[in-house]
Amino acid sequence: MDTKKIVSYGVFFAALIIVPFIFNSNWTSVFTTFLIYSAVALSQDIVLGRAGMFDMGHAIFFGLGAYSTAILNMVYGWPILATIPVAIILPVIASILLAAPIIHLRGDYLLVTTIGFNIVFIQALKNNVFGITGGPNGIFGVEPLKLFGFSFSSQTSIYFLAFFVLILTLIIIHNLETSKPGRALHYLNEDSLASECIGINTRFYRLYAFGLSAAVAGLAGVVFTLQFSAVSPDAFDFIQSVLFFTIVLVGGPSSIPGVLLGTFFMFVVPEMFRQFAEARYLVFGIAMILIMIFRPKGIWPVKFGKIPNYITKE
Amino acid sequence: MDIFLQQLVNGLTIGSIYALVALGYTMVYGVLKLINFAHGDLVALSAYIGLVIMMQLAGALSPVLLIITTFIATMIIIATAGVILERTAYRPLRKAPRLSAVVSALGASLVIENGIMLIWGPMPRIFPASAVPNANYNIGNVYISLMQVLVLIISFVLMVALYFFVNRTKLGTAMRACAIDQDAARLMGIDVNRVIVTTFVIGSALGAVGGLFIGMYYRGIHFNMGWIYGLNAFVAAIIGGIGNIPGAMLGGILLGIFNAFISGYLSSSWALALTYVLLIVIMIIRPTGILGERVAEKV
Repeated sequence: MDTKKIVSYGVFFAALIIVPFIFNSNWTSVFTTFLIYSAVALSQDIVLGRAGMFDMGHAIFFGLGAYSTAILNMVYGWPILATIPVAIILPVIASILLAAPIIHLRGDYLLVTTIGFNIVFIQALKNNVFGITGGPNGIFGVEPLKLFGFSFSSQTSIYFLAFFVLILTLIIIHNLETSKPGRALHYLNEDSLASECIGINTRFYRLYAFGLSAAVAGLAGVVFTLQFSAVSPDAFDFIQSVLFFTIVLVGGPSSIPGVLLGTFFMFVVPEMFRQFAEARYLVFGIAMILIMIFRPKGIWPVKFGKIPNYITKE
Repeated sequence: MDIFLQQLVNGLTIGSIYALVALGYTMVYGVLKLINFAHGDLVALSAYIGLVIMMQLAGALSPVLLIITTFIATMIIIATAGVILERTAYRPLRKAPRLSAVVSALGASLVIENGIMLIWGPMPRIFPASAVPNANYNIGNVYISLMQVLVLIISFVLMVALYFFVNRTKLGTAMRACAIDQDAARLMGIDVNRVIVTTFVIGSALGAVGGLFIGMYYRGIHFNMGWIYGLNAFVAAIIGGIGNIPGAMLGGILLGIFNAFISGYLSSSWALALTYVLLIVIMIIRPTGILGERVAEKV
């Protein structure tokens, strides 16, 4: 990491730390949502931006994490801390089981199949499968997280919990960028056939990307449950997946600042324009079209250091 | 047996509507290789516009003339909307990375959906019961309503017409050429832009008929119904093999019948989920759809 990067991350983290002290609890809750959705968007970026697979069902893994915590806590009476490992591992298993048979599908087919998974997931939740998902209303009254006698029940404490999850996500992504699997995913994205020829096990790394991103999304799901102390199917609908998909592409695939900026535009800016609540999605739609026309690679596209231009060109 | 035949008739009706909408997806995908996510919202828009036209002209025209005028006017308006969509959201992105065009399509979908909400409000609207006389025909123990007869006949006529247009006319041939290779088509002297505009005109007009049928058949319309009808029709297009016109028709009808049987024999609350299970199974077994050709990966 160069100095410029360290300084900008320092400023970014410092700004996030003071948020709960200068804003009221409503805005703190908006920023908590921003932190949670940033983690999910960054995890979506592992599959979409870094591995180059069109996954439009990412809300499944987010939802599985959230629902695991809520169900284990409310139905089986587990303490929240004990549910966290399950809320991470279950989405990983689900992502690998779901992705394995369809991983070879080409772009658009993968996109539609993952939407299909998401719709099946939501229908299962709404139909109260196994009688534990709470049907269309979801589950209410999840306990707060207790750690060493401290109860994470105030908005500020949940904010810092979400902040911790985002930092964890950033560390995971930083490690991924500088590690062998990260490079493998990058080559896979550039040219899957060529990467197979140089001995990269494409199937393994594709599933690896799905599994890792599901783990991060599952963890973010836990914080989501804690923030609202409730889960409901609508929060994990395929429209949400479409939103995460859009955030990554509008912000800039495989670019951390881009994805954070995308999340900011999609979740925090709408809150600022509450008075125009009715028209804001219309404006967003227009903004999405315009951004894609003027910056087809996203607002803050990733720049690859020393790779010559003729390689990175489409 | 009676339930079976009754569900078959209902399934065929819904299936023909899906097929009409699916044709718009499949034609655009064939030519531009783009999932036109805004198509479903154009379908929803057509239901609203059709309702407005019908209400405005209700007393002035005889019922038959009213229906014909509504259909033709809505088709013209939606076809225009389709062309505007292509001009503003897709044409500037034709050389951009493919995913950018997908985001642009999603943006266009948001614009249309929320535009409908801003103009007509978030509450559902109801089509008048008298839009089509509520007559039932009784064949054996199977009931067919006049509406169902209309849907089946008009869809069949439109699909046959489209089939002949694509296979027997010059413009249709140009369209097929563009679907195979746009650059080669351009070298052969085909005006690719004109072909793409024609594709959007025909696809949107057929979608408009589908939207009007949805309005008249189910009667309740909602500003965000575009997504779910659009996705179902898109699934139909994929099941048949996307980019393949007879495939979209076959896929639509199969999906409609499948849906009707699930609702009739199992439960309607699982119908949507099982539709997508069907899609996933077909994707695993035959990734390019029933009538789709195997495409060799380009190296």
